[in-house]
Amino acid sequence: MSMLRRREALWFYLFASPWIIGFVVFLLGPMIASVYISLTDWDSFTAPKWVGLDNYVRLLTDDPIFWKALWNTFYYAAVSVPLGLVIGLWLANLLNKGVRLRKLFRTLIYLPTLVPLVATAMIFKMVLAPSGPLNDALGLFGIPGPSWLLESVWVKPALILLSVWGAGGATVLLLAAMKGIPRELYEAAEVDGAGPVRQFWSITVPQLTPIIFFNLIMGLIGAFQVFSQVYILTKGGPDNASQTMVPLLFNEAFSFYHMGYASAISWLLFAVILVFTLIAFRTARRWVFYETEVK
Amino acid sequence: MAIDRTDLTRRGFLGMGVAAGIITLTACGSDSDKKSSGGGGGAADLVMTVWGGDTDKTTYQQRIDALVKKFPELKVKLQLIPGDGYAQKVQTMIAGGKGPDIMQVAENVNVYSSKNQIMPLDDLAKKAGLDLEQRFGSIGKIYSYQDKVYAIPDRSGAMIVYYNKGLFDAKGIKPPTADWTWDDALSAFKELTIPGKQWGYGGGGWWAQWWSFVYQNGGKIIDDAGKPAVATDEVIEALQWTGDLVFKHGVVPTPKQFADMGADVGADGAFANGKLAVNTTGFWGISGLAKSKIDWNIAPLWRGKEQAVTAFGSGLAISRTAKNPEAAFKAIEFLTSPEAQQKIIATGEDVPASIEVQKSNAFLKPAWMTKPVDMNVFAESSAFVYRAPFIPAWNEMQKAFDDGLADFWLGKKDARTSLTAIQKRLESIVKPAS
Repeated sequence: MSMLRRREALWFYLFASPWIIGFVVFLLGPMIASVYISLTDWDSFTAPKWVGLDNYVRLLTDDPIFWKALWNTFYYAAVSVPLGLVIGLWLANLLNKGVRLRKLFRTLIYLPTLVPLVATAMIFKMVLAPSGPLNDALGLFGIPGPSWLLESVWVKPALILLSVWGAGGATVLLLAAMKGIPRELYEAAEVDGAGPVRQFWSITVPQLTPIIFFNLIMGLIGAFQVFSQVYILTKGGPDNASQTMVPLLFNEAFSFYHMGYASAISWLLFAVILVFTLIAFRTARRWVFYETEVK
Repeated sequence: MAIDRTDLTRRGFLGMGVAAGIITLTACGSDSDKKSSGGGGGAADLVMTVWGGDTDKTTYQQRIDALVKKFPELKVKLQLIPGDGYAQKVQTMIAGGKGPDIMQVAENVNVYSSKNQIMPLDDLAKKAGLDLEQRFGSIGKIYSYQDKVYAIPDRSGAMIVYYNKGLFDAKGIKPPTADWTWDDALSAFKELTIPGKQWGYGGGGWWAQWWSFVYQNGGKIIDDAGKPAVATDEVIEALQWTGDLVFKHGVVPTPKQFADMGADVGADGAFANGKLAVNTTGFWGISGLAKSKIDWNIAPLWRGKEQAVTAFGSGLAISRTAKNPEAAFKAIEFLTSPEAQQKIIATGEDVPASIEVQKSNAFLKPAWMTKPVDMNVFAESSAFVYRAPFIPAWNEMQKAFDDGLADFWLGKKDARTSLTAIQKRLESIVKPAS
C-alpha cells in the first residue's frame, strides 16, 4: 500500500475518532457490559453474582408481569404506529391541496410535537378525566365516556390517543415528499382520465413509500421504547394494564435494584425490536418503491 | 506486509476503543480517591446528600452553617437532589465509587444496609455517648437492620388528622380525638358528607393510612419472623373497612371523583379546597394549608382496638465509602442535637426528631404560624407510632400493593381476594432476614 493511502487512512481515523470514541465508550462498551450484567444477579452495590441464563429463563417462564408488559407494548405499537401514519398521511394530503393559510395550518399541525411531552401528558391527564372535556364531547353524541386512565380496558387506548397527538411530525416529512413528486405524473394521469382518488393511490402513495417506510421503522422503534407517557400518566397502572417494556426495566433497575434482571429485559426488548425491524425490511421489497431502482 | 500493517492498525484502533470503554466503565471506581482529604487531625471534607425542595435546602444549609461554626475543622458540602431522582442519583454515585459521606435515608434505609452500603452506627454512638432512646424516644432505633442501627433519626412526624373546623362546627360535631373509634369516625364522616359535593374523609388509599388501621386492628404487614402476613383476618378487616368508606358508605371520594377535581389533585388539595371534612397526612399539610381559606386544626389519629399511627421521617446515615466516619458521625451528632434541630421547625420544614425540641416552645408556637394550631398533637402521637416494616425490598413491596389493590380501590374486588393474591406475590419478594 502506498504512503498516500496509509496517510489517508490515518486521517480518516483521526477525523472519525470523535464518533468512534463516542460510539465505543457510550454505546458499545455499555452494551457489552450489559450482556454480562444480564447473566448475573446484581444489585448495583455489591459484587455481581453469575447466574447464567437464569434471568432470561425467569422472565420467559415465571414472570406474568413481563408478559403483560410485552403484550401491552405490542398492543401500543400495533395500533399507534399505523394510526399515526394514516393520520399523518391524511393531514399531509390535506395540506398539499393548496388550501388557504396553508403555512399556518402546517405550523399548527407540527406544533404539538414541539410541546414537551411532560406538559402534554399533564394536559392529557385533565382532558382524559372521567368528566373531562373529551368525555363531555363524547357525551354530546350520547356516548358515555369511560374513566380513561383508571380502567384497565381503556388505559391503553388513552395512551394511543396521546401518541396520535404527535402525528404532525410525520406530516411534515410526508408533505415535503409530496411536494417533490413531479407534476408531470399527475398531468399524465389526468390526461388518461384518472380521478383524484385514483391519482392518490396510484401516484402519491407509491411515490411516498420510502418516507412512509422511514416513518414506519422509526415509529416502531419509538413505540416499543415508549416511556415518558406511561411514566407520567399512569406509572403502568392500574395493575400493570399500561405497563410497557421500558418503564418495566426502569423499575427493575432503579427502584428494585435488579440490574441483571433489567439488563435481560433490555436484551429481550432489543431482540423484539430487531425482529420487527427485520420483518419490515424484508417486506419492504414488495411495497417500497425507489425511483432509481429498476424492477 | 503493508496490508497487514493497516489491518493491524485498524484492529488495534478498535481494540483501544474497547479498552477505553471498559476503562471508563471501571474507572469511576478509582476516581474517588482524589477527593479524600487529610483524615487525620479530625479535619474532613464531607459530602452530604439530601432530597427535597427550597425550604429543605435552606434548612439543611442553616444547620450545616451552625455545625461549621462550632466545628471549623469540618467542611460539609450539601448536595440537594430533587425528590424523584434521589434514589437513582445516590445509587449511581455509590456504584461509581463516589458515594456521599452522609446521606439522608427513609423507608428505603435497608436497601442500603442489607447491601452493606451504609455503616452500623452503634459503636460510634456509644463512643460519642449518644443515647438514641433518650434523644428520640420510641423511634430511636427505627432505622435498624438485624439489630444494628444504620441511621440516626433526623426528622420524624406522625401522620395526623386535619379537620375542617367550619364544617365540624356547623354540624355541631366535636373535633376528632385520639379516643375516636372507627365507628365514631364513620358516623362523623357520614354526617359531614353531602353526596357529590362534600365528603367526610379523604380516604385511606395510601400505605401510611391504611397500614395505620391495620396495626390499630392488631394486624401486621410483615410478622415478627420477617414473613409477609397480609392475608390475615386483622389485615383484611382493616383494609375492607377503609375500602367500604368509599363504596359502601360513600363518605370518601371515588378515584373517579378525585380525577375530576383536576390533574393530580388528591386528598390534600381537596381538603384545602374545603371539599373534605377530614384528611390524614403528614406535617407538610400545614404549609400546604397556609393559603387556604378554610378554618382548620389538627388532631391525633383515631384508634381501633389499639392505638397506632404511621410516622414519616428520615434519618442520616454514613456510607461505607466515607473516608472519615468519625468526623461524619460528629457532624450527624450535632445535626440531630436540639440546637441544630430547632432550625427544622423554625423554617417550617418538618417535625424535628428530637423529643426535646418537639416539646419546646419553639415547636409548639413557631413564629411563622398564623393560626392557632394545636402543635402538641405531634408529641402526643409520637407515643403510639408503630414500627413499620422497612424491609430491603420496600419498593417492590409497595409495587405489589399498588398492583394488587388497583381493582380494590376501584371497588371491583374485595379485600380478601386482593390480599390473598398479594400475600402470594409478597412471599416471592420478601426473603426473611436470616
